[in-house]
Amino acid sequence: MALVAIYSLFIINKSGGLIYYKDYGSAGRMDTNDSLRLASLWHSMHAISQQLSPTPGCTGIDLLQAHNFDLHCFQSLTGTKFFVVCETGAPNMEMLLKVIYELYTDFVLKNPFYEMEMPIRCELFDLNLAQVIQKDRVALLGR
Amino acid sequence: MPPPTAPKSGDALFASVDRVNAELFTLTYGAIVRQLLTDLEEVEEVNKQLDQIRDARVEYSNGLADLRSPKFLGYNIGTRLVDEFLAKSNVSRCVDFKETADVIAKLGFKMFLGVTATVTNWDAEGTSCSFVLEDNPLVDFVELPDTCQGLQYCNLLSGVIRGALEMVSMKTEVTWVRDMLRGDDAYEMRVKLIKQVPEEYPYKDDD
Amino acid sequence: MIGVGKAKQYANVLDKPLSRGRQEVSLSAFAFLFSELVQFNQTQVDNIAELERRLEDAGYAVGARVLELLCHREKGNRRETRLLGILSFIHSTVWKVLFGKVADSLEKGTEHEDEYMISEKELLVNRFISVPKDMGAFNCGAFVAGIVKGVLDNAGFPAVVTAHFVPIEGQQRPRTTILIKFAEEVLHREARLG
Repeated sequence: MALVAIYSLFIINKSGGLIYYKDYGSAGRMDTNDSLRLASLWHSMHAISQQLSPTPGCTGIDLLQAHNFDLHCFQSLTGTKFFVVCETGAPNMEMLLKVIYELYTDFVLKNPFYEMEMPIRCELFDLNLAQVIQKDRVALLGR
Repeated sequence: MPPPTAPKSGDALFASVDRVNAELFTLTYGAIVRQLLTDLEEVEEVNKQLDQIRDARVEYSNGLADLRSPKFLGYNIGTRLVDEFLAKSNVSRCVDFKETADVIAKLGFKMFLGVTATVTNWDAEGTSCSFVLEDNPLVDFVELPDTCQGLQYCNLLSGVIRGALEMVSMKTEVTWVRDMLRGDDAYEMRVKLIKQVPEEYPYKDDD
Repeated sequence: MIGVGKAKQYANVLDKPLSRGRQEVSLSAFAFLFSELVQFNQTQVDNIAELERRLEDAGYAVGARVLELLCHREKGNRRETRLLGILSFIHSTVWKVLFGKVADSLEKGTEHEDEYMISEKELLVNRFISVPKDMGAFNCGAFVAGIVKGVLDNAGFPAVVTAHFVPIEGQQRPRTTILIKFAEEVLHREARLG
């Protein structure tokens, strides 16, 4: 197996619409419809979890563990969700999500040609993201 | 890389971000205002025409005018800039409007403009307050000519605050009460919390 | 007592001491403002050429003021009167003040006598901008081209100034070249001055 620790990345807008999906070589690569459906489902589950919470102040699901992958989710205070699907026990995923959030504020939100809440098609975001994911793999290599 | 940490101080925050000469910012803003003034003249003509039509249309035409005012530009910037602020300042959810106002004054203004604002004049309910700016990089080199005495030159800033707060579920009204360009002794804007929009749950039926 | 800030009141903007240009704002503040300039102008145009022209106009207004400001502050109220002088003033002094660095290069066009190029690997205004494919070769550097034109024009060197993406070998991202084509009269004058 290659060094791939991260299988895929999703960004969901505050209404549950999928605005970014990148697959990094997972076996279950999805087509557009499936990825849209999954995004909207995750959006709802995230909200349901807040209702399920026995104490107030729950902000949703941060981590979902399956027997063969982990899903780490970060939701910004503005309601945008970023989540990565990665190999079980992959470390530093919170940091990675935060870095991706910062890239989003730089190369998506400062781009005059990006329309808010719409799918992200920004070359510079892709380039910088690829570098970060690459670096992350390198960091994992160095363990 | 260090783990997520406590919010940085305003100075540390400003020191940690990339910076540019304020003059580039000031002069670019000046160029935007000049363009707006030129374009708005035409829009006002359009508005006069639309004025005759039904109310909804008039509202629409007013909306158009608003689209082109610095306040709208500011609002638009606010809706985008808030994420950067949250991403880079490490602040988490504020407990109330008071804390929010403090965070904007001490960290928000500092992180973007390198200046601090003072929060003052709270009302009894804790829902409206003033930001007083010590320094305002927007206005360097600026003097309002006679033809533009009615111009709210700094509306960009009030728009930014309104837009940013709306993204974190706070509807506000922001107005300038003092403006040195108009002869006052300080820059003071009044921020009034209209309502805090509760978070919506996507699985609920629409009411 | 509220409102007692550092800012002092002046009856007239001319009474106010000229800033020394050391104050800074965050690059983000500028980037968001610039993005808004582009977005706003997009709503005002029907085509890309028009958008380019409007960004150039906005830049021109900045360039005209920068010339005045810098001649006063950095050059003791003198301004360059020779072609190479004004070009190097833009490439170094203007660039340094506005963008925090000297431009990567200043070259003379190889094919045309009246053309000069200022190139930048990553133009500050383009730092965060990805131009959609359907906009072709559009470059937001039109704003910077406008600044250059504003400086040149007001210093008595009328020119046509345009911004272009130029691919660099082995690099994913192209650089931006600001192409300056001087008016005939400028070259005649230069020739006369020897």
